[in-house]
Amino acid sequence: MNLASSNSISAQPGRTIRFRIKRCDGPGKPSYWQAFSVSPEAGANVLSCLQQIAANPVTADGQRTTPVVWDAGCLEEVCGACTMVINGKARQSCSCLVDQYAPNDGDEITLEPMSKFPVVRDLWVDRSRMFHNLKRVKAWVPIDGTYNLGAGPRESHEQQERRYALSTCMTCGCCLEACPQFLPEANANKWDTSFVGAQVLGQAHLFNLHQTGEQLASDRLDVLMGQGGVSDCGNSQNCVKVCPKHIPLTESIAALGRAVAVHSVKRWFTSK
Amino acid sequence: MSNPIGPSWYQRNYFLLRRLHSLTGIVPIGVFLIAHLVTNSSILWGKFALRGDGAGKSLIDGGVYYFAKEVTWINEQVPHLLLIEITLWVSIAFHSILGVVYAMSGKSNTSRYAYQDNWRYTLQRVSGYVGIAFIFYHVATLRWGWKFLVPGGTQWSHHYSASTLALALRGSAEGMTTWGLLVSLFYMLGVTMLVFHFANGLWTAAITWGVTVSANAQRRWGRVCTGIGAALMLAGWSSVIGFAMLSPEAARAQENKLLGKSAHAVPESSSSEVPARPE
Repeated sequence: MNLASSNSISAQPGRTIRFRIKRCDGPGKPSYWQAFSVSPEAGANVLSCLQQIAANPVTADGQRTTPVVWDAGCLEEVCGACTMVINGKARQSCSCLVDQYAPNDGDEITLEPMSKFPVVRDLWVDRSRMFHNLKRVKAWVPIDGTYNLGAGPRESHEQQERRYALSTCMTCGCCLEACPQFLPEANANKWDTSFVGAQVLGQAHLFNLHQTGEQLASDRLDVLMGQGGVSDCGNSQNCVKVCPKHIPLTESIAALGRAVAVHSVKRWFTSK
Repeated sequence: MSNPIGPSWYQRNYFLLRRLHSLTGIVPIGVFLIAHLVTNSSILWGKFALRGDGAGKSLIDGGVYYFAKEVTWINEQVPHLLLIEITLWVSIAFHSILGVVYAMSGKSNTSRYAYQDNWRYTLQRVSGYVGIAFIFYHVATLRWGWKFLVPGGTQWSHHYSASTLALALRGSAEGMTTWGLLVSLFYMLGVTMLVFHFANGLWTAAITWGVTVSANAQRRWGRVCTGIGAALMLAGWSSVIGFAMLSPEAARAQENKLLGKSAHAVPESSSSEVPARPE
């Protein structure tokens, strides 16, 4: 869909639409639904409608309530903070244009927090498990900056292109929200043995492809061979379909499947 | 590790168990499935494999004759048959138990993400569960002789492989009974689920082992797996339909010919080798 048709061209001007929002007052508190009526401006996104609701927190039944809370950062689909479940599917609310989702008077949009992460409040979730999992696989380049490493190795154009796609991951969580193998886990002690999910598999692959990052490849593969590693993938391939950055996550998963197969044989014959 | 006493045996062997689970699905289980469905579907194509012996026989008579000959060969000529069978049973038990453990580690979400791949993810698990129930019934009744689970109480015998199989699927010598129809439908369901499980499992195994890495390679291999699945589905369905519609009386005439007995000889009920004829 091109930009012209994705904006207000087909949407009815001056319409009133409804937002059904799944709310929660705090961690561990029960969820409940509230509906709000909004008259979106032309070209509005879900976040600007949430701002309207925050400015006048009155439900569609006329009840005064607390403003709906959400998380946001860049507002241009590169930080991942405003990810939520919109009409049943995970995506960023900043790039979700209301004219597409609710073009006519009376149309409804449903907003829910992501279900795989603990809710902080309303639509705001705590995504720390994703950062914990990045640490599990050492998703970084091991340089400590104490001495000059000189110029890095020359990288082929093909390799650059492959790594660039993986580097666009913004840790938003869409792939995990859609994954039938990645389940909510409130107990942080169990995070080390639960499935890392496509997000971390893509990043482990990215840093294994990096010519300096590769130095930790063996450590990464050791973790990915274990419980919660790449073997826990069930090949539903939802991750690659919902990824807002179109990262070829299933290719990373297959590449890592090959890498751990080779790694396990090597380890069996050479490790002490 | 968060576990203070260190990783458990299961965790230390996690990768080996995962990959053995994947491998056993192909060898020996998948290879056996192919051989089994090829043999069973010979009820429809066996006449043409008999060469000179097939001349003058009807399609079904030729099929029965060829099938009975094959089954006799398997049961009397294949060396270490019991060892092969035990290997298969152990592999199936291993694949089933771990399969249930792995299936329970996920939660289907096709209602929200109704993609074809996601449906196959769910169906792979469902077909596994149905497949376990079907294989257990199939082996228990026809191999271990649990007659009380067979409508009509037929005891399968490799000397009368086609006729006793037809009886077990039909429920009586006279024709299809209600219970016979239910058993035949369960066979159709079981075979369909298992063929899907194998074909889809071949597709996912290529990703698991990193054979098909690019999305295009996965698509291409998917077409090959669809072809393999379609061919096996055809073999499976023709086996079940062929035997469910087979007249046990006509089949016995061919089997007796193979055994060197008169066409209307009735299996002796006293011998343990030869089955009792259900009444």
